[in-house]
Parts: sequence; structure tokens; C-alpha cells
Amino acid sequence: MKKLFVLFVAMFIVLTLAACGGSEVETYEIAMITDAGDIDDESFNQGTWEGIVAYAEENNISHRYYRPAAVSDADYIATIDLAVSAGAKVVVTPGFLFEVAIYQAQQDHPDVMFILIDGVPHAGDWDGNIGDNTVSILFAEHESGFLAGYAAVHDGYTELGYMGGMAVPAVVRFGVGFVAGALYAANEAGVAISFPNDRYTYLGDFDAKDSHKNEALAWFSLGTEIIFAAAGGAGSSVMSAAEDSGNKMIGVDVDQSSISPTVVTSAMKGLGAAVQQVLAQFYADNFPGGELLIKNASEDGVALPMDTSRFATFSQAQYDSIHGRIASGAVSVPENYTELIAFLNAIGQTTAIVEGTIHP
Amino acid sequence: MRELIDLIYFLFPLFIATTVPLSIVALGGLFSERSGVVNIALEGIMIMGGFIGIIAMRALIENTELNLQIIAFIGLFTGATFGMLYALAHAFASITMKSNQIISATALNMFAPAMSVFIARTFWNTSNLNLMGNYTISKVPILGDIPIVGQLFFTNAYLSTYIGIIIFIVATAVLYKTRLGLRIRSCGENPHAADSLGVNIYRVRYIGVLISGALAGMGGVIFVLSFATRFSGSVAGFGFLALAVLIFGQWHPKKIIFAALFFATMRVIADTYSVIPGLNMIVMPREIYRMLPYIATLVVLSFASKRSRAPRAVGEPYDPSKR
Repeated sequence: MKKLFVLFVAMFIVLTLAACGGSEVETYEIAMITDAGDIDDESFNQGTWEGIVAYAEENNISHRYYRPAAVSDADYIATIDLAVSAGAKVVVTPGFLFEVAIYQAQQDHPDVMFILIDGVPHAGDWDGNIGDNTVSILFAEHESGFLAGYAAVHDGYTELGYMGGMAVPAVVRFGVGFVAGALYAANEAGVAISFPNDRYTYLGDFDAKDSHKNEALAWFSLGTEIIFAAAGGAGSSVMSAAEDSGNKMIGVDVDQSSISPTVVTSAMKGLGAAVQQVLAQFYADNFPGGELLIKNASEDGVALPMDTSRFATFSQAQYDSIHGRIASGAVSVPENYTELIAFLNAIGQTTAIVEGTIHP
Repeated sequence: MRELIDLIYFLFPLFIATTVPLSIVALGGLFSERSGVVNIALEGIMIMGGFIGIIAMRALIENTELNLQIIAFIGLFTGATFGMLYALAHAFASITMKSNQIISATALNMFAPAMSVFIARTFWNTSNLNLMGNYTISKVPILGDIPIVGQLFFTNAYLSTYIGIIIFIVATAVLYKTRLGLRIRSCGENPHAADSLGVNIYRVRYIGVLISGALAGMGGVIFVLSFATRFSGSVAGFGFLALAVLIFGQWHPKKIIFAALFFATMRVIADTYSVIPGLNMIVMPREIYRMLPYIATLVVLSFASKRSRAPRAVGEPYDPSKR
């Protein structure tokens, strides 16, 4: 009897909840699928989502995000199918993890448009194939990292460190650009900076925890003055270490200056703006299907937030100058180890960082 | 020599910073398990306590001009209070309803991060709750001037360190010097004998679980204050590490402190090898260093587990008619 009663109560609750959710069938025109992170990861998921929300609310378009059950191609494809069956006309997927899923989805749903950020669709063989209903947006993270490293050295920092989350393409580009920018500025300013091999690392995850804080504290105690943390939530632990030891750090992706006074600047990328731009093109029947868009300095895809940065000497004029040089192509920022070495040779600098450190 | 002293001054606060949350949460687990209730929900309780504690601190920072240490103190106790409330669910399920203790605790572990993200996102539109301010105490007046000891214990310290020491003393005293402590221990060893002497098993076990909830909740706040500048729905497995500390410490307060210190030392060394002479000369992938604490733990545990003595009645719902 008692069990029967419990069963009834349980069924009642489930049915009530189900009824609440299913009272009306809604459709969502713009759908976003999150990758391993969440829409408030203070990184590309959040930046992308904010861009979608800004555009959709301005133009009164229904929008919604979906979280896949797990990080796998099958789950991604299933979630995309779900979004399409809920009426999605354009699906936005941030992160290179979606490359294979989008390759499949762009064939399954030829009438749906896909915007893939930080990646190019392929069948698992890294042979890029952008369908006519897909746009790939890549960011020049290396240029963003370059600006950060350049600014830090010109601002008087000589002992730098780089902590990436994991060696995924975007994080690697941030790191390579950072090293290049720092050494480029050192060459300009005629100062010797120290960027040894053991001041460049990937933490192994994007979580805030004691390990990352302790490692950052160790670096600081060895004389590192500023750490560039391209590591999502783990950046919070680096920040905490900087606060405790009276040192500085550089944020990533979005402007993080409001979180802690130790954030000198942030290497930003303009995710929201890029997504809004492509959405606007879509609704103007001008979708750049099949194209690979590279958002770099010349398209205002990367920037430092100069208004909120805490530089001592690095000026807006200096920033405008280097930004202009990158945008015009006068300075060609390297994005992998081979290019980094060539870049450094050209300006007469060397680095102690070995290839295995940057591309583990 | 000078370098060695500097190294110790650098590493010691890090050992302490990791030891304190581990040992406080493990002491919490101790009270629950000595009373006879397995509590693997420590992780979930830490998350819940940390979450509410950080919310309280954020509200205080925004609306008051209180000293940061007072705010931290209030945050710690808010975390403890809500940790206790949260643990009440585990107590009700596993003591009153006699459910499987592992299952109800697992439910709590899964519920906590999801709930905290849900609430945070509903009210603040983000699951990352940033916390402003630096909560280290740069120097304790007078005590900080004592040579060596002052430098080690009373500069660049956290409020939680001192609270942790007090908790350890009080916990040991309660467990071994009071009637309640005796009852808690007897309920975990032989509840039927205790029952026959008029001890209310259910009440004592409720007290045990609630104490564990309070300490784990406080541990969650300490975790965020010590290692990050924000709460993001995770305590990086510290609740489970604390369980390991509890078992390694053989359900005994003093041994728990040593176990926590051992874990913390290994963990800190694995992350700071670059400053440690000898270790920084060996060229090894960082992953190897990262493995060291766990390899050491496996080795030590495999030797220590021979003498392991868990409370005899732990994990069994009390049923007066059995026996």
C-alpha cells in the first residue's frame, strides 16, 4: 500500500513537471550547442552566447542553447538533430571539438545553416571540408597573445610565464603569440627578457584548484613577474596566487580586469561581434556559406582592453602602433613552433623554449 | 643555508593551506563514521557550503564596509550552517529511512554542483561567482614578530588555519573527553550495546552526521578562499581526498592531521618541484611529478591498510530487531 502510494506520488510529480515543460511547443530559430564548457565559462562559449543573445534580442528572434550529454561526436550530432527538430534555422557551435559533428550535420541538414567557431569541419581526417551551408570562423589567438606579450614587456616586465589550460589549437596559438610578442618587444626596447623553457606550460585542465595556484606561486617565487593564463577557470587560481604573492597576471578571452586588481590586461578575442556579424548576414540572406572567416587584428577580431588595463607605461599610442602593424601585415605573427623560430631568427632573438613544450 | 630557510618559509604556508581544508573535512567525516554513518557526501556538502558561504560573503562585501577577515569568518560559519542543513538530508535518508548510505550520499554529491549552478545562473546569470578581496593575513600583530614561529605561523596566513587548529582541539576533546564523544564512538562500534544502555542511537547518529556537514561546509568555503578567486561549482575532488585522509588516518583525529599533512605535502611538492633543489634538476615530464602524490599514497596505503580499523558498525542502518 505504502509503496503504491509512493509510486503514485512519484508519477504525479514527473507528469506535472512534464506537463509544465510541454504545455506549448516552442521553436527556436537560433540554436547554440555548448562544447565541454558551459555558457558562462568566461571564454568562448560565453562570448558566443552573449553575441547570439545580443543579436537575437535586438531583432526579436527566438534563441536557445543546448548542452550535449557528453563530449563526443555522437552526442554532438544528436544535440544538433534535437536543435534542428526544435526549429533551428541556424546552429552555432563554438569550439574545434565540433569539427567532425558539423561535417556530418552539414550533410544531414542541408537547409540549416551552421556557424562553427574555432574550427573547420572534417570527416575525422583533418581534411577540411566546409559545406555550402556552413561558415567557419577562426580567431587569430596568436595575434591576441602577441599583443599581450608585447604590451607586458614594453610595460617593464622582464620575467614572464605562460600557463595554458590544455594544448588545444587556440591555447597553443595564444602561447606562441605571447612568446613572440614578448621577444619582439624586447628586441625593440633593447632589453633582455627571460622566458625559459620551464615558464611555458599546459596545466592539463581548465579547473580552479590548489595545484595550479601552488605552481603559479612557485613560478612567482622564482622571480616570474607576470603570468599569462589562457586557462579558463584555472586562471582564477593563478589570479589568487598573484594576489597572495603581490604579482601580476594577464587574463584571456574576455576582459577580466574587474575580477582582480592583479589583472594587468586581457588578451581578448571578439567572439560576440563575429557571431553577430554572421547572424546579421544570415538574416540579410547573405550567408557566407562555405567560407572560412579569419578574425584577426585587421578585422578587430583580437584586442587588448586598453581602457581597463593597468599599464604603468605602455600607452595607447604604442598599442595603436603595434595593432596597426599586425593588422597591415607588417608584423606577421607566428602561430606554431616552426614559425616562431623563423620569426625570432628574423629579428635576431632566440628562445630556450623547445618544440616539445609548445606542441606536447 | 639561507636558501633552505627561504624555501621552508615559502613551502610551509602552502602545506598548511592544503592541510587545513583536508583535515577539517576529514574530521567532519570522522564524526559521521565514528557514529556509524558512512559519509561519502563530503564532496557535495563542501560544494553546497562553499556556494552559500561565498554568496553570503559577496552580499556582505557589496553592502557593508566590514573588515575582510570578519566577512571571511561569517562566510565560514554560513558555509558550516548550510553544510549542516544539507547533511540533514543524508541523515534523514540513512538514519531515519534506513536507506543505503552510499546511495543517498551519492545523490547529494550529484545534486550539489547541479543545484549550485542552477541557482547561480538563475540569480546572477553565471555559475562563476567571483569573490573580490585578498583574504590572507599578512601579519598577525605581536605574534608575527616572534622569530621563526612568527614567520611560519603568523605571516601570510589564513584565518581558516587558526579556526582549523581550534576545531582539531575541540574535536579531539569532544570525541575522547565528553559523554557525547563516548556515545558517538559506541554507536559506531556496537549500537545494540549502546541502545541497551539507554543511548538514543538515532539522535547520536544525527549529531554525528550534522557535525560532519558543518565541518565539510566550512571546508568548502576554505577551499574557495584558499585556492581561487571565485566559486565555480567544484572543489576539485577535495571531499574525496578528505575521505582518503580519513581512512589513511584510521578514524583517529591525531593520525588524520598527519595523514592530511602527508597528502598536502606530496601534493604541494608535485606542483612546486621547480623551486625544490634536487627535484628541479631531474628532467621529467610534469605528468610524472603530478603522479607522485598518488603513487606515494598507494604505497603508503597498501602498507597502512593492514592495520586499518574502521568503526565496526559503520555503514549499517541501525535496526534494533536484528542480532
